[in-house]
Amino acid sequence: MAVESPFIRATCVEATEFMDLARKYRVTGVPKTVVNGSIEILGALPEPMFVKAALGLPAES
Amino acid sequence: MSLLSEQDRQTVRDHLAAISHPVKLLFFTQTFGAPDTVAIAKQVLDELVSLNDRISQEEVNLVLDRGRAAQYGVDAVPAVALLRGEEDTRMRFMGAPAGYEFMSLIEAVILAGTDDSGLTPESKALIAEHAKEPRDISVFVTPT
Repeated sequence: MAVESPFIRATCVEATEFMDLARKYRVTGVPKTVVNGSIEILGALPEPMFVKAALGLPAES
Repeated sequence: MSLLSEQDRQTVRDHLAAISHPVKLLFFTQTFGAPDTVAIAKQVLDELVSLNDRISQEEVNLVLDRGRAAQYGVDAVPAVALLRGEEDTRMRFMGAPAGYEFMSLIEAVILAGTDDSGLTPESKALIAEHAKEPRDISVFVTPT
């Protein structure tokens, strides 16, 4: 998504090295995706679902 | 000493062959107080750079080059930002990209080095229509 839009930055965070961050976002299982510190996506979703969730769109759109 | 077996090196080399743009790995590090993972990250990047002539790396010291680190939104080490030529692809890795994350790094390098994001037309359309403000997507992973 990041290469597709200049508005999006995508970071892969190694949770055991950045435990403060992992704790802040209550990461108990991976992968866990956090968007703008507020949207949380647990697990690996199929692409259409992930893109919608990351964009803050309802799943049915 | 190489991290990968010669067979694995060839497999990765084959994957990377698709790259047509120069890819620069900006490696953020620091001289004092750096975690041990910085050395691991360096090893991984050295290995990756050795597998394709279009991939290069540049070290940026978080403390000495604070401005440049801030430019890329990096405030901790080790971190990697991927550039296509000199252009920020907005892809980042925080922590040593070892284990499974190494595969993600290779995928990211291929994304940076080619022209297709690999997303479906529907996804691209959604992004074009709805990504209108800065969006920071952080994916937490573990090395296993």
